[in-house]
Amino acid sequence: MDDILIVEKACKSFGELRAVREISFTVDAGEIFGIAGPNGSGKSTLFNLITSIPYPADSGRVLFGGKAIHRMRANRICRAGVARTFQKETAFDTLSTIENVMLGSVYGHERPDTPTAQRRTREALAFVGIAEDQYGRPAGELSVFDKKRLMLASALATRPRLLLLDEPASGLTKPEIDETIELLRRVNAEGVTVLVIEHVLPLLLTVSNRLMVLNQGQELTTGRPDDVVRDEHVIEAYLGSRGKDDGRDS
Amino acid sequence: MAFETAQSVLLSGIVLGSLYALMATGLSLVWTTLGIFNFAHGIFMTIGAFIAWQVGTDLGWGLGPAAGIALGVAALVGVGCLSEFLLVRPFLSRSGIVMLVVITTLSATIFLENSTLLIWGARYKQMPPLIEGKVELLSTAISAHEVLMIAIAPLTLLTLWVFLKFTRIGSAIRAVSQNQESALLMGMNVPLLYSIAFGLSAGLAGFAGILLGSIRFITPGLGNEPLVKALIVAIFGGLGSLGGTIGAAYIIGLVEAISTFFIGLYWTPAILFAGMIVVLLLRPTGLFGKK
Repeated sequence: MDDILIVEKACKSFGELRAVREISFTVDAGEIFGIAGPNGSGKSTLFNLITSIPYPADSGRVLFGGKAIHRMRANRICRAGVARTFQKETAFDTLSTIENVMLGSVYGHERPDTPTAQRRTREALAFVGIAEDQYGRPAGELSVFDKKRLMLASALATRPRLLLLDEPASGLTKPEIDETIELLRRVNAEGVTVLVIEHVLPLLLTVSNRLMVLNQGQELTTGRPDDVVRDEHVIEAYLGSRGKDDGRDS
Repeated sequence: MAFETAQSVLLSGIVLGSLYALMATGLSLVWTTLGIFNFAHGIFMTIGAFIAWQVGTDLGWGLGPAAGIALGVAALVGVGCLSEFLLVRPFLSRSGIVMLVVITTLSATIFLENSTLLIWGARYKQMPPLIEGKVELLSTAISAHEVLMIAIAPLTLLTLWVFLKFTRIGSAIRAVSQNQESALLMGMNVPLLYSIAFGLSAGLAGFAGILLGSIRFITPGLGNEPLVKALIVAIFGGLGSLGGTIGAAYIIGLVEAISTFFIGLYWTPAILFAGMIVVLLLRPTGLFGKK
Protein backbone atom coordinates (compact mmCIF):
# COMPACT_ATOMS: atom_id res chain seq x y z
CA MET A 1 0.00 0.00 0.00
CA ASP A 2 1.20 3.58 -0.74
CA ASP A 3 2.51 5.74 2.07
CA ILE A 4 0.27 8.79 2.36
CA LEU A 5 2.31 10.35 5.17
CA ILE A 6 6.03 10.05 5.82
CA VAL A 7 7.60 11.69 8.84
CA GLU A 8 11.38 11.64 8.83
CA LYS A 9 13.47 12.46 11.91
CA ALA A 10 11.09 15.13 13.17
CA CYS A 11 12.51 17.13 16.09
CA LYS A 12 11.10 19.85 18.31
CA SER A 13 12.63 21.45 21.39
CA PHE A 14 11.40 24.10 23.80
CA GLY A 15 14.55 25.45 25.40
CA GLU A 16 16.16 22.51 27.18
CA LEU A 17 13.10 20.30 26.77
CA ARG A 18 13.29 18.00 23.76
CA ALA A 19 9.59 17.37 23.16
CA VAL A 20 10.01 15.32 19.98
CA ARG A 21 13.28 13.52 19.28
CA GLU A 22 13.97 12.28 15.76
CA ILE A 23 10.64 10.53 15.30
CA SER A 24 10.17 8.75 11.97
CA PHE A 25 7.14 6.79 10.82
CA THR A 26 4.95 6.21 7.80
CA VAL A 27 1.18 6.00 7.47
CA ASP A 28 -0.34 3.85 4.72
CA ALA A 29 -3.16 5.26 2.61
CA GLY A 30 -6.50 4.03 3.94
CA GLU A 31 -5.37 2.86 7.37
CA ILE A 32 -6.18 4.03 10.87
CA PHE A 33 -2.87 4.74 12.57
CA GLY A 34 -2.98 5.20 16.33
CA ILE A 35 -0.50 7.12 18.46
CA ALA A 36 -0.43 6.42 22.18
CA GLY A 37 1.77 7.45 25.06
CA PRO A 38 1.71 8.85 28.57
CA ASN A 39 1.14 12.54 29.25
CA GLY A 40 3.98 14.66 27.91
CA SER A 41 5.23 11.97 25.58
CA GLY A 42 5.05 14.30 22.55
CA LYS A 43 1.87 13.08 20.84
CA SER A 44 0.17 16.44 20.36
CA THR A 45 3.51 18.11 19.57
CA LEU A 46 3.93 15.59 16.76
CA PHE A 47 0.53 16.63 15.37
CA ASN A 48 1.60 20.25 15.64
CA LEU A 49 4.70 19.51 13.56
CA ILE A 50 2.69 17.74 10.85
CA THR A 51 0.14 20.56 10.52
CA SER A 52 2.50 23.48 11.34
CA ILE A 53 -0.05 24.61 13.93
CA PRO A 54 1.12 26.44 15.94
CA TYR A 55 4.71 25.70 14.97
CA PRO A 56 6.67 23.64 12.43
CA ALA A 57 9.43 21.15 13.27
CA ASP A 58 12.90 22.38 14.16
CA SER A 59 14.31 19.77 11.82
CA GLY A 60 13.21 16.71 9.89
CA ARG A 61 10.81 16.28 6.99
CA VAL A 62 7.10 15.67 6.58
CA LEU A 63 5.88 14.33 3.23
CA PHE A 64 2.20 14.09 2.37
CA GLY A 65 1.31 12.21 -0.79
CA GLY A 66 4.98 12.40 -1.75
CA LYS A 67 5.06 16.19 -1.40
CA ALA A 68 7.06 17.99 1.30
CA ILE A 69 4.68 19.95 3.54
CA HIS A 70 6.94 20.82 6.47
CA ARG A 71 7.75 24.25 5.04
CA MET A 72 4.18 25.00 3.96
CA ARG A 73 1.85 27.44 5.69
CA ALA A 74 -0.87 25.74 7.72
CA ASN A 75 -3.72 26.80 5.43
CA ARG A 76 -1.89 25.36 2.42
CA ILE A 77 -1.40 22.07 4.26
CA CYS A 78 -5.16 21.97 4.76
CA ARG A 79 -5.76 22.68 1.09
CA ALA A 80 -3.33 19.89 0.21
CA GLY A 81 -5.77 17.53 1.96
CA VAL A 82 -4.77 17.32 5.63
CA ALA A 83 -7.38 18.14 8.30
CA ARG A 84 -7.09 18.12 12.07
CA THR A 85 -9.15 18.37 15.21
CA PHE A 86 -7.91 19.49 18.62
CA GLN A 87 -8.00 17.78 22.00
CA LYS A 88 -9.92 20.73 23.45
CA GLU A 89 -13.26 21.50 21.86
CA THR A 90 -12.51 24.40 19.55
CA ALA A 91 -15.13 26.01 17.35
CA PHE A 92 -16.06 29.49 16.23
CA ASP A 93 -18.37 29.96 19.18
CA THR A 94 -20.49 32.88 18.00
CA LEU A 95 -20.99 31.41 14.54
CA SER A 96 -23.83 28.95 14.08
CA THR A 97 -23.13 25.23 13.80
CA ILE A 98 -23.83 25.25 10.08
CA GLU A 99 -21.68 28.37 9.52
CA ASN A 100 -18.76 26.61 11.23
CA VAL A 101 -18.94 23.65 8.88
CA MET A 102 -19.66 25.83 5.85
CA LEU A 103 -16.31 27.56 6.33
CA GLY A 104 -14.60 24.17 6.09
CA SER A 105 -16.51 23.42 2.88
CA VAL A 106 -15.67 26.77 1.34
CA TYR A 107 -12.02 27.18 2.29
CA GLY A 108 -10.83 23.56 2.47
CA HIS A 109 -9.10 21.13 0.13
CA GLU A 110 -11.58 21.63 -2.69
CA ARG A 111 -13.19 25.01 -3.29
CA PRO A 112 -16.67 24.34 -4.61
CA ASP A 113 -19.41 26.72 -5.75
CA THR A 114 -21.89 27.81 -3.09
CA PRO A 115 -24.65 25.22 -3.75
CA THR A 116 -22.10 22.39 -3.67
CA ALA A 117 -20.55 23.80 -0.49
CA GLN A 118 -24.00 23.99 1.14
CA ARG A 119 -24.77 20.39 0.15
CA ARG A 120 -21.42 19.18 1.49
CA THR A 121 -21.95 21.11 4.70
CA ARG A 122 -25.27 19.40 5.35
CA GLU A 123 -23.81 16.03 4.38
CA ALA A 124 -20.94 16.48 6.86
CA LEU A 125 -23.31 17.49 9.65
CA ALA A 126 -25.62 14.56 8.94
CA PHE A 127 -22.64 12.20 8.71
CA VAL A 128 -21.44 13.00 12.23
CA GLY A 129 -24.99 12.83 13.57
CA ILE A 130 -25.66 16.39 14.73
CA ALA A 131 -29.41 16.91 14.88
CA GLU A 132 -30.85 19.33 12.33
CA ASP A 133 -32.41 21.51 15.03
CA GLN A 134 -28.88 22.32 16.21
CA TYR A 135 -27.70 23.69 12.85
CA GLY A 136 -28.72 27.29 13.56
CA ARG A 137 -27.50 27.28 17.16
CA PRO A 138 -24.29 29.14 18.09
CA ALA A 139 -21.49 26.61 18.35
CA GLY A 140 -20.58 27.86 21.81
CA GLU A 141 -23.91 26.57 23.15
CA LEU A 142 -23.43 22.98 21.99
CA SER A 143 -22.75 20.08 24.36
CA VAL A 144 -19.20 18.67 24.62
CA PHE A 145 -20.10 15.68 22.42
CA ASP A 146 -21.78 17.87 19.80
CA LYS A 147 -18.77 20.18 19.81
CA LYS A 148 -16.50 17.19 19.21
CA ARG A 149 -18.76 16.10 16.36
CA LEU A 150 -18.84 19.65 15.03
CA MET A 151 -15.02 19.74 14.92
CA LEU A 152 -15.08 16.47 13.02
CA ALA A 153 -17.77 17.71 10.61
CA SER A 154 -15.80 20.92 9.97
CA ALA A 155 -12.66 18.87 9.30
CA LEU A 156 -14.53 16.48 6.99
CA ALA A 157 -16.10 19.39 5.12
CA THR A 158 -12.60 20.39 3.97
CA ARG A 159 -12.54 17.06 2.04
CA PRO A 160 -9.34 15.73 3.60
CA ARG A 161 -7.39 12.69 2.46
CA LEU A 162 -5.69 12.51 5.84
CA LEU A 163 -7.50 13.30 9.08
CA LEU A 164 -5.59 13.90 12.32
CA LEU A 165 -7.69 13.46 15.46
CA ASP A 166 -6.27 14.59 18.78
CA GLU A 167 -7.95 12.70 21.62
CA PRO A 168 -11.44 12.54 20.09
CA ALA A 169 -12.79 10.63 23.11
CA SER A 170 -11.52 12.89 25.90
CA GLY A 171 -14.29 14.09 28.18
CA LEU A 172 -16.88 11.73 26.67
CA THR A 173 -19.09 9.15 28.37
CA LYS A 174 -18.83 5.44 27.53
CA PRO A 175 -21.81 5.46 25.10
CA GLU A 176 -20.40 8.58 23.44
CA ILE A 177 -16.99 6.88 23.10
CA ASP A 178 -18.68 3.90 21.45
CA GLU A 179 -20.40 6.27 19.01
CA THR A 180 -17.06 7.95 18.33
CA ILE A 181 -15.44 4.60 17.55
CA GLU A 182 -18.23 3.83 15.11
CA LEU A 183 -17.87 7.28 13.56
CA LEU A 184 -14.11 6.85 13.07
CA ARG A 185 -14.70 3.56 11.31
CA ARG A 186 -17.26 5.17 9.01
CA VAL A 187 -14.89 8.06 8.24
CA ASN A 188 -12.18 5.56 7.38
CA ALA A 189 -14.59 3.51 5.27
CA GLU A 190 -15.18 6.66 3.18
CA GLY A 191 -11.53 6.41 2.12
CA VAL A 192 -10.06 8.90 4.58
CA THR A 193 -6.78 7.88 6.20
CA VAL A 194 -6.97 8.52 9.94
CA LEU A 195 -4.16 9.36 12.33
CA VAL A 196 -5.49 9.33 15.86
CA ILE A 197 -3.96 10.26 19.22
CA GLU A 198 -5.78 8.90 22.20
CA HIS A 199 -5.21 8.56 25.88
CA VAL A 200 -8.00 6.00 26.13
CA LEU A 201 -6.09 2.89 25.04
CA PRO A 202 -9.14 0.65 24.47
CA LEU A 203 -10.34 3.02 21.74
CA LEU A 204 -7.00 2.87 19.95
CA LEU A 205 -6.80 -0.91 20.31
CA THR A 206 -10.28 -1.22 18.83
CA VAL A 207 -9.92 1.02 15.79
CA SER A 208 -6.23 1.11 14.86
CA ASN A 209 -4.65 -0.98 12.14
CA ARG A 210 -1.25 -0.04 13.52
CA LEU A 211 -0.22 1.64 16.72
CA MET A 212 2.85 3.70 17.62
CA VAL A 213 3.70 4.34 21.26
CA LEU A 214 5.75 7.36 22.28
CA ASN A 215 7.53 8.06 25.54
CA GLN A 216 9.51 11.17 26.44
CA GLY A 217 9.45 12.40 22.86
CA GLN A 218 10.76 9.17 21.38
CA GLU A 219 9.21 6.25 19.56
CA LEU A 220 9.01 3.20 21.81
CA THR A 221 7.52 0.80 19.34
CA THR A 222 5.22 0.54 16.33
CA GLY A 223 3.19 -2.46 15.25
CA ARG A 224 -0.14 -4.23 15.37
CA PRO A 225 -2.10 -3.18 18.46
CA ASP A 226 -2.13 -6.70 19.94
CA ASP A 227 1.65 -6.93 19.69
CA VAL A 228 2.24 -3.41 20.96
CA VAL A 229 0.32 -3.87 24.21
CA ARG A 230 2.44 -6.91 25.03
CA ASP A 231 5.69 -5.02 24.45
CA GLU A 232 7.54 -4.80 27.77
CA HIS A 233 8.81 -1.26 27.06
CA VAL A 234 5.22 -0.12 26.55
CA ILE A 235 4.07 -1.79 29.79
CA GLU A 236 6.91 -0.13 31.64
CA ALA A 237 6.16 3.29 30.15
CA TYR A 238 2.50 3.11 31.09
CA LEU A 239 2.68 1.25 34.42
CA GLY A 240 6.27 1.73 35.59
CA SER A 241 8.65 -1.06 36.64
CA ARG A 242 6.07 -2.52 39.07
CA GLY A 243 3.72 -3.11 36.19
CA LYS A 244 6.53 -4.83 34.34
CA ASP A 245 7.24 -7.06 37.37
CA ASP A 246 3.55 -7.79 37.74
CA GLY A 247 3.44 -8.78 34.08
CA ARG A 248 6.28 -11.25 34.60
CA ASP A 249 4.65 -12.74 37.69
CA SER A 250 1.35 -13.41 36.00
CA MET B 1 -34.52 74.32 28.43
CA ALA B 2 -36.79 75.21 25.55
CA PHE B 3 -38.16 72.36 23.50
CA GLU B 4 -36.48 73.70 20.34
CA THR B 5 -33.12 73.81 22.13
CA ALA B 6 -33.51 70.22 23.28
CA GLN B 7 -34.28 69.16 19.73
CA SER B 8 -31.28 71.04 18.44
CA VAL B 9 -28.99 69.40 21.00
CA LEU B 10 -30.49 66.00 20.18
CA LEU B 11 -29.85 66.43 16.45
CA SER B 12 -26.35 67.65 17.11
CA GLY B 13 -25.74 64.54 19.23
CA ILE B 14 -27.06 62.25 16.50
CA VAL B 15 -24.81 63.89 13.90
CA LEU B 16 -21.79 63.42 16.14
CA GLY B 17 -22.91 59.88 16.97
CA SER B 18 -23.15 59.03 13.27
CA LEU B 19 -19.63 60.21 12.68
CA TYR B 20 -18.25 58.40 15.74
CA ALA B 21 -20.10 55.23 14.75
CA LEU B 22 -18.30 55.18 11.39
CA MET B 23 -14.96 55.91 13.02
CA ALA B 24 -15.23 53.61 16.01
CA THR B 25 -16.70 50.66 14.09
CA GLY B 26 -13.58 50.57 11.93
CA LEU B 27 -11.39 50.73 15.01
CA SER B 28 -13.43 48.03 16.69
CA LEU B 29 -13.33 45.80 13.60
CA VAL B 30 -9.53 45.78 13.72
CA TRP B 31 -9.56 45.14 17.46
CA THR B 32 -12.08 42.30 17.12
CA THR B 33 -10.21 40.64 14.26
CA LEU B 34 -6.56 41.19 15.14
CA GLY B 35 -6.68 42.10 18.84
CA ILE B 36 -4.74 45.33 18.31
CA PHE B 37 -5.41 49.06 18.41
CA ASN B 38 -4.64 50.96 15.25
CA PHE B 39 -3.50 54.44 16.23
CA ALA B 40 -3.16 55.37 12.55
CA HIS B 41 -6.96 55.28 12.28
CA GLY B 42 -7.17 59.07 12.74
CA ILE B 43 -4.67 59.85 10.01
CA PHE B 44 -6.58 57.49 7.68
CA MET B 45 -9.55 59.79 8.23
CA THR B 46 -7.43 62.81 7.33
CA ILE B 47 -6.01 61.21 4.18
CA GLY B 48 -9.53 60.24 3.05
CA ALA B 49 -10.62 63.86 3.37
CA PHE B 50 -7.54 65.19 1.54
CA ILE B 51 -7.89 62.73 -1.36
CA ALA B 52 -11.61 63.47 -1.74
CA TRP B 53 -10.80 67.21 -1.70
CA GLN B 54 -8.05 66.72 -4.30
CA VAL B 55 -10.19 64.61 -6.61
CA GLY B 56 -13.58 66.21 -6.11
CA THR B 57 -13.24 69.98 -5.66
CA ASP B 58 -12.57 72.66 -8.23
CA LEU B 59 -9.41 73.66 -6.37
CA GLY B 60 -8.12 70.13 -7.00
CA TRP B 61 -8.89 68.01 -10.07
CA GLY B 62 -12.56 69.00 -10.15
CA LEU B 63 -13.98 65.55 -10.91
CA GLY B 64 -16.98 66.08 -8.63
CA PRO B 65 -17.95 64.88 -5.15
CA ALA B 66 -19.01 61.36 -6.23
CA ALA B 67 -15.59 60.69 -7.76
CA GLY B 68 -13.98 62.26 -4.70
CA ILE B 69 -15.84 59.94 -2.33
CA ALA B 70 -15.30 56.84 -4.48
CA LEU B 71 -11.58 57.42 -4.99
CA GLY B 72 -11.09 58.61 -1.41
CA VAL B 73 -12.64 55.47 0.07
CA ALA B 74 -10.98 53.14 -2.47
CA ALA B 75 -7.58 54.70 -1.85
CA LEU B 76 -8.03 54.33 1.89
CA VAL B 77 -8.91 50.64 1.53
CA GLY B 78 -5.59 50.29 -0.31
CA VAL B 79 -3.75 52.34 2.33
CA GLY B 80 -5.30 50.12 5.02
CA CYS B 81 -4.19 46.89 3.32
CA LEU B 82 -0.68 48.29 2.80
CA SER B 83 -0.52 49.45 6.42
CA GLU B 84 -1.47 45.99 7.66
CA PHE B 85 1.29 44.53 5.51
CA LEU B 86 3.94 46.99 6.69
CA LEU B 87 2.93 47.80 10.27
CA VAL B 88 1.27 44.65 11.59
CA ARG B 89 2.17 41.53 9.61
CA PRO B 90 5.89 41.50 10.48
CA PHE B 91 4.88 41.22 14.15
CA LEU B 92 1.98 38.76 13.92
CA SER B 93 3.85 35.90 15.53
CA ARG B 94 5.51 38.07 18.22
CA SER B 95 4.26 37.81 21.77
CA GLY B 96 4.32 41.58 22.35
CA ILE B 97 2.35 42.42 19.21
CA VAL B 98 -0.12 44.76 20.96
CA MET B 99 2.59 47.15 22.16
CA LEU B 100 4.63 46.77 18.97
CA VAL B 101 1.64 47.78 16.85
CA VAL B 102 0.96 50.77 19.13
CA ILE B 103 4.50 51.93 18.32
CA THR B 104 4.36 51.17 14.58
CA THR B 105 0.94 52.80 14.06
CA LEU B 106 1.88 55.87 16.10
CA SER B 107 5.09 56.16 14.04
CA ALA B 108 3.06 55.82 10.86
CA THR B 109 0.74 58.55 12.07
CA ILE B 110 3.63 60.98 12.48
CA PHE B 111 5.05 60.01 9.08
CA LEU B 112 1.72 60.30 7.28
CA GLU B 113 0.72 63.56 9.00
CA ASN B 114 3.94 65.17 7.83
CA SER B 115 3.48 63.65 4.39
CA THR B 116 0.05 65.27 4.06
CA LEU B 117 1.64 68.55 5.12
CA LEU B 118 4.25 68.19 2.37
CA ILE B 119 1.71 67.18 -0.28
CA TRP B 120 -1.19 69.50 0.48
CA GLY B 121 0.50 72.28 2.42
CA ALA B 122 -0.49 73.99 5.63
CA ARG B 123 -3.36 76.07 4.24
CA TYR B 124 -6.76 74.97 5.54
CA LYS B 125 -9.03 73.26 3.04
CA GLN B 126 -12.69 72.39 3.08
CA MET B 127 -14.95 70.21 0.99
CA PRO B 128 -18.22 71.78 -0.10
CA PRO B 129 -21.23 70.08 1.52
CA LEU B 130 -22.28 66.94 -0.34
CA ILE B 131 -25.80 68.38 -0.39
CA GLU B 132 -26.35 72.15 -0.26
CA GLY B 133 -29.10 73.84 1.72
CA LYS B 134 -31.01 73.40 4.96
CA VAL B 135 -33.67 70.96 6.02
CA GLU B 136 -36.19 71.34 8.82
CA LEU B 137 -36.02 68.31 11.05
CA LEU B 138 -37.83 68.08 14.43
CA SER B 139 -38.71 71.77 14.01
CA THR B 140 -35.02 72.59 13.83
CA ALA B 141 -33.17 73.88 10.79
CA ILE B 142 -30.23 71.60 10.05
CA SER B 143 -27.90 71.46 7.07
CA ALA B 144 -28.80 68.90 4.43
CA HIS B 145 -25.24 67.59 4.66
CA GLU B 146 -25.77 66.70 8.33
CA VAL B 147 -29.05 64.99 7.48
CA LEU B 148 -27.11 62.98 4.92
CA MET B 149 -24.61 62.02 7.64
CA ILE B 150 -27.43 60.90 9.93
CA ALA B 151 -28.90 58.74 7.17
CA ILE B 152 -25.74 57.41 5.57
CA ALA B 153 -23.91 56.22 8.70
CA PRO B 154 -26.49 53.56 9.67
CA LEU B 155 -26.77 52.48 6.02
CA THR B 156 -22.99 52.06 5.77
CA LEU B 157 -22.89 50.09 9.01
CA LEU B 158 -25.84 47.96 7.86
CA THR B 159 -23.90 47.18 4.67
CA LEU B 160 -20.89 46.21 6.79
CA TRP B 161 -23.09 43.95 8.93
CA VAL B 162 -24.57 42.26 5.84
CA PHE B 163 -21.05 41.76 4.50
CA LEU B 164 -19.79 40.22 7.75
CA LYS B 165 -22.88 38.09 8.26
CA PHE B 166 -23.74 36.80 4.81
CA THR B 167 -20.60 36.64 2.68
CA ARG B 168 -17.85 34.02 2.66
CA ILE B 169 -15.15 36.54 3.44
CA GLY B 170 -17.28 38.17 6.13
CA SER B 171 -17.89 34.83 7.87
CA ALA B 172 -14.19 34.06 7.59
CA ILE B 173 -13.28 37.41 9.20
CA ARG B 174 -15.68 36.67 12.08
CA ALA B 175 -14.19 33.19 12.39
CA VAL B 176 -10.56 34.24 12.36
CA SER B 177 -11.27 36.79 15.07
CA GLN B 178 -12.30 33.91 17.34
CA ASN B 179 -9.76 31.23 16.60
CA GLN B 180 -6.83 31.81 14.32
CA GLU B 181 -5.53 28.25 14.50
CA SER B 182 -8.85 26.64 13.60
CA ALA B 183 -9.22 29.13 10.75
CA LEU B 184 -5.82 28.11 9.37
CA LEU B 185 -6.75 24.45 9.70
CA MET B 186 -9.82 25.06 7.55
CA GLY B 187 -7.66 26.48 4.80
CA MET B 188 -8.30 30.17 5.41
CA ASN B 189 -5.58 32.60 4.43
CA VAL B 190 -5.44 34.36 7.79
CA PRO B 191 -3.00 37.18 6.86
CA LEU B 192 -5.15 38.01 3.83
CA LEU B 193 -8.26 38.18 6.01
CA TYR B 194 -6.42 40.46 8.42
CA SER B 195 -5.49 42.66 5.49
CA ILE B 196 -9.12 42.81 4.30
CA ALA B 197 -10.31 43.73 7.81
CA PHE B 198 -7.69 46.47 8.01
CA GLY B 199 -8.65 47.74 4.55
CA LEU B 200 -12.35 47.84 5.47
CA SER B 201 -11.54 49.65 8.68
CA ALA B 202 -9.44 52.23 6.85
CA GLY B 203 -12.17 52.65 4.23
CA LEU B 204 -14.67 53.46 6.99
CA ALA B 205 -12.22 55.94 8.50
CA GLY B 206 -11.68 57.55 5.10
CA PHE B 207 -15.42 57.84 4.54
CA ALA B 208 -15.89 59.42 7.96
CA GLY B 209 -13.06 61.85 7.12
CA ILE B 210 -14.76 62.84 3.86
CA LEU B 211 -18.03 63.56 5.70
CA LEU B 212 -16.16 65.49 8.38
CA GLY B 213 -14.18 67.43 5.78
CA SER B 214 -17.37 69.23 4.77
CA ILE B 215 -18.15 70.54 8.23
CA ARG B 216 -14.62 71.14 9.53
CA PHE B 217 -11.42 72.42 7.96
CA ILE B 218 -9.16 69.73 6.53
CA THR B 219 -5.75 69.91 8.18
CA PRO B 220 -3.12 67.23 8.82
CA GLY B 221 -4.46 66.96 12.37
CA LEU B 222 -8.12 66.56 11.32
CA GLY B 223 -8.36 62.97 12.56
CA ASN B 224 -6.61 63.42 15.93
CA GLU B 225 -9.59 64.47 18.01
CA PRO B 226 -12.04 62.03 16.35
CA LEU B 227 -9.51 59.22 16.98
CA VAL B 228 -9.59 59.94 20.71
CA LYS B 229 -13.41 59.99 20.62
CA ALA B 230 -13.47 56.75 18.66
CA LEU B 231 -11.18 55.15 21.24
CA ILE B 232 -13.54 56.28 24.01
CA VAL B 233 -16.51 54.93 22.06
CA ALA B 234 -14.87 51.56 21.34
CA ILE B 235 -13.81 51.07 24.98
CA PHE B 236 -17.05 52.46 26.39
CA GLY B 237 -19.15 50.21 24.14
CA GLY B 238 -17.16 47.09 24.88
CA LEU B 239 -14.18 45.98 22.87
CA GLY B 240 -15.02 43.25 20.41
CA SER B 241 -18.68 44.18 20.17
CA LEU B 242 -19.47 45.93 16.89
CA GLY B 243 -23.12 46.41 17.89
CA GLY B 244 -22.03 47.78 21.26
CA THR B 245 -19.64 50.17 19.54
CA ILE B 246 -22.42 51.58 17.36
CA GLY B 247 -24.75 51.99 20.36
CA ALA B 248 -21.97 53.65 22.36
CA ALA B 249 -21.17 56.01 19.47
CA TYR B 250 -24.66 57.52 19.62
CA ILE B 251 -24.59 57.70 23.44
CA ILE B 252 -21.21 59.47 23.37
CA GLY B 253 -22.43 61.79 20.62
CA LEU B 254 -25.46 62.77 22.69
CA VAL B 255 -23.45 63.18 25.90
CA GLU B 256 -20.97 65.36 24.02
CA ALA B 257 -23.73 67.54 22.55
CA ILE B 258 -25.45 67.96 25.93
CA SER B 259 -22.17 68.62 27.73
CA THR B 260 -21.03 71.14 25.11
CA PHE B 261 -24.31 73.02 25.38
CA PHE B 262 -24.60 73.10 29.17
CA ILE B 263 -21.04 72.95 30.47
CA GLY B 264 -18.84 74.08 27.64
CA LEU B 265 -16.75 72.76 24.78
CA TYR B 266 -13.46 72.58 26.70
CA TRP B 267 -14.89 70.48 29.53
CA THR B 268 -16.46 67.93 27.20
CA PRO B 269 -13.41 65.65 26.70
CA ALA B 270 -12.86 65.52 30.46
CA ILE B 271 -16.51 64.59 31.00
CA LEU B 272 -16.34 61.87 28.35
CA PHE B 273 -13.18 60.39 29.88
CA ALA B 274 -14.71 60.55 33.36
CA GLY B 275 -17.83 58.77 32.06
CA MET B 276 -15.67 56.11 30.43
CA ILE B 277 -13.72 55.55 33.66
CA VAL B 278 -16.94 55.21 35.67
CA VAL B 279 -18.37 52.71 33.17
CA LEU B 280 -15.14 50.68 33.21
CA LEU B 281 -15.14 50.65 37.02
CA LEU B 282 -18.69 49.32 37.07
CA ARG B 283 -18.45 47.17 33.93
CA PRO B 284 -14.82 46.40 32.98
CA THR B 285 -15.98 44.86 29.70
CA GLY B 286 -17.67 48.09 28.63
CA LEU B 287 -21.32 48.99 28.42
CA PHE B 288 -22.28 46.31 25.90
CA GLY B 289 -19.25 43.99 26.07
CA LYS B 290 -19.66 40.36 27.02
CA LYS B 291 -17.95 38.98 30.11
